[in-house]
Order: sequence, then C-alpha cells, then structure tokens
Amino acid sequence: MQWEQVWSSDNLFRLMVGNLLHGKPGGLLITLAIAAISILLSTILGAGVGVMRASQARWLSMPAFVYIQCLRNVPLVILIFWAYFVPPYFKLEISKFASVTIALTFFTSAYIAEVVRGGILSVPPGHVEAARALALGRVQIWLWIVLPQAFFNMIPALTSRYITALKNTSLAFLIGLSDLTDIGKEINARLMTAPIEVYMTLLLIYFVVNRGLSSAMRRLESRPRFNRLFLRI
Amino acid sequence: MSYKFDWSILWGESGLLLLDGMVVTLKLVGWSLTFALLLGVLAGVCRWVGGRVLSPVTWAYVEFVRNTPLLVQILFWYFSAAYIMPKPMVLWVRDLGFEFASVVIALAIYHGAFVAEIVRSGLNSVDRGQFDASRALGLGFGKMMGLVILPQAFRIVVPPLSNETVSLTKNTALALAVGVTEIAYQTKYIESYTFRGIEALAAATVLYLVICLGLTGIGHLASLRLSRHIGKKHAVGTSLE
Repeated sequence: MQWEQVWSSDNLFRLMVGNLLHGKPGGLLITLAIAAISILLSTILGAGVGVMRASQARWLSMPAFVYIQCLRNVPLVILIFWAYFVPPYFKLEISKFASVTIALTFFTSAYIAEVVRGGILSVPPGHVEAARALALGRVQIWLWIVLPQAFFNMIPALTSRYITALKNTSLAFLIGLSDLTDIGKEINARLMTAPIEVYMTLLLIYFVVNRGLSSAMRRLESRPRFNRLFLRI
Repeated sequence: MSYKFDWSILWGESGLLLLDGMVVTLKLVGWSLTFALLLGVLAGVCRWVGGRVLSPVTWAYVEFVRNTPLLVQILFWYFSAAYIMPKPMVLWVRDLGFEFASVVIALAIYHGAFVAEIVRSGLNSVDRGQFDASRALGLGFGKMMGLVILPQAFRIVVPPLSNETVSLTKNTALALAVGVTEIAYQTKYIESYTFRGIEALAAATVLYLVICLGLTGIGHLASLRLSRHIGKKHAVGTSLE
C-alpha cells in the first residue's frame, strides 16, 4: 500500500484545484463549478418544462413530453459529443467547459421536469379550490399556493437529481477537461503502481462532497425552517 | 450553414461499425443487468430483513455506491481488478476481454445498489397484515416470501425497475472510457476518421432512442398487464404516462 505517495501534499493540492498556480484551474474546483452552474440552470429550465408538462392544455404538455423523453432516453455521453463535436462543423468556437455544462444542464433538466410535475400533482386540489374561493388570481395561486408546497414535496427527489448531476460531471474528462477524475487519472498514470489507492481517494472525495450536498438539502426538509425561509410564517 | 450533409456514409463501413457497436451495447446490457438484478435482489432482501451484521453492511454498500460516480468506479475496476481478484479469476476474465468484464462488474455493482433500494421499497409497500396472515397460516420464511410477499411486491417493483434498466442502458456508453467498442466509442471513431460527426452522432442518438424507448415500452406494458386484476387506473405509473 502506498497511501503516503498518493496522499502527498502536491497530489492533494492538484486534486483540489488542478494547475491553478499556472493559470489552469482544475480538479474539484472545476467539478464543483460545472455542478453548481448546471444545477442552477437546469432547475430553472426544468421548472418551466415541468409546469408545462403538468398543464391540462395539450399544446403545452405534448412538447414538454417529447422534450423529456428525447433527453431521458439518450446517454449523457452522446449529448456531450453533440455539444462538443458539432459546433466546430459550423465554425463556432466552444470551450470544453461550456459544452459539458450545456449538455449536463439539458440532461438534468429533463429529470427535474419530471420531479416538478410530480410535485405539482402532489398538491391537493382542495387547496387550489380554496384559494380560488378566496378570490386569488391565477398567478397568485401558482406563486403562493401550488409552487411552495410542490417545492417542499420535491426536496427528496431533487436531492437525488442534484447528486446524480454532481456524479455526472465526471464525464467531463471524456473530452479532456481536467476535472477531478481527469487529475486522478493523471496521478494514476504517473505513479503506475497504486491504482487502488488513487481511485479509492477519488471515490472518497466524491462521496464526501455528495454526502455534504444531501445533508445540506436535508436541512431544508424540516418544515418549520422551510416555512420561515420561504413562506414567512 | 456551410456544412454539407452526407448521409450516405451510414450505408457503408460506418454503418456496419455502428451496428457492431449496438451488438456490443446489447451484450453489455444483458450481462450487467443479469448480475445487477441478482446482486440487487440479494442486497435488497438482506437490507429489508435486517439484522445486526447484514443491515449495516448492505447500508454501507448502497450508500457508498450511490454517492460515487459510475465512471470512476469503472476506472477503479479496470485498473485495480487485477490486484484485488484471485489469480485464476483474473486469467478467466482476461480471456473474456478485460475491458468488457471490468465494465460489467462496475455496472452490476453500481446498479445493484439502486435495484436493492427498489426491492426494499417494494417489500415495504406490501401490507403488514399479509405477513401476519401468512405467519398465522403457518408458512415458513421461504414459502411466505415465494407465495405471498414477492408476487405482490413484483407489481410495485416493475416500473422503477424498467426505469433502472433504461438508465443502465444509457450508462453502458461510459464503457468508451476504457475502450469497449460500443455505440458511443464507434461514434467517436467515425467522427475522427471520416469527419462526419453530425451524421454519426445522429445515427447513434436514434439507436439509443430506439433501444431505450423500446425498453420503457416493455416496462409500461408489463406494468399494465400485472395490474389488470385491479384495473388500469390503479396501475403503478411508468415514465411513459
């Protein structure tokens, strides 16, 4: 076992921030940046598509259905290839970082749309009827009655989608972006004799980050705190 | 639009490469799904039965595997399986094709954890009274599970299992990281040798859509059929709803 060699301060530094000192950030920093941006964007996009999908109007729900099925039934690798290999054919420049983030955003948004739809359907219809009886407008009903309750019901499912998105950032190394996985693979290639230690280290880092993410989401799940934060009651 | 499409390349060598890739993808799906189901049912039942040793072990397995990326697990098995496994097994695996085998191991272990959770929640959804009733009738553990509990849990478990199968199928594309010649690998190969990336990617996308939607459709039909005794309305929903 060669843990000391793998856990040298140089290696650990590179795993965290890559070649930051030479102006090339990488490692966990890039992984977290991709994850944060695409989680944020895909939540917004997914909420829009999910609301469309839950709509009674067919002309709204059908396009959303097709969008979700098309993205859910294709591997993320293929989407990343679309975003990375195709723009140059049309003489467009796209960075590796941007193509991974775009592909991951669209991929995750399809799953989040399904979660949002499930959350909306879980709000009891009586609440909407009561709000209508109180003469709230359509926008007010969505904003103050349906979406906050839907969001609360969605938290566990959203957590697992966010964790999946964070895990999926590891695909960035397939097109040569120096994320956490790529740096790990590079360290493994340099040492050559310690694959177990290197990949165990990688798995542990991902594990700790993901557990951190899910425990942060679990803090939102306590109803009183949620009410204080979002509903001001 | 400066790009001129040339779809005819798909009717030549490139098309054959993609079809070869599809055969490899389907093989990967078949092998890893079989092992994932075996492992998942075993771990799920162990976790559900509980016990001082079994339940922490299966909990740790499920938690660790679900919180780490599949790609890193594939790389882990690819690079270190030779150090971990006993020598005769390594030789046997080498004859099968080391890349292929390491991807199958990684996929089976990764999706086994998800299957375990599905099986456990399926078992939990069976009414408590069913256990008491089978105890009262004097059925042993094996008969209780085989005749009473599993048939009821099966209906609940089919839709999430079909989703998991689709997800496994998509994840086989990660095998290109270690050089298994499945659809995504062949796409990249065609891209770099013919500069016909768009055509190859479109064909690969269609192939994956057909395979995955076909699997989802089968799951949907199975769910409807298993629920026919209680009516369509009470069928467990699939992602095709």
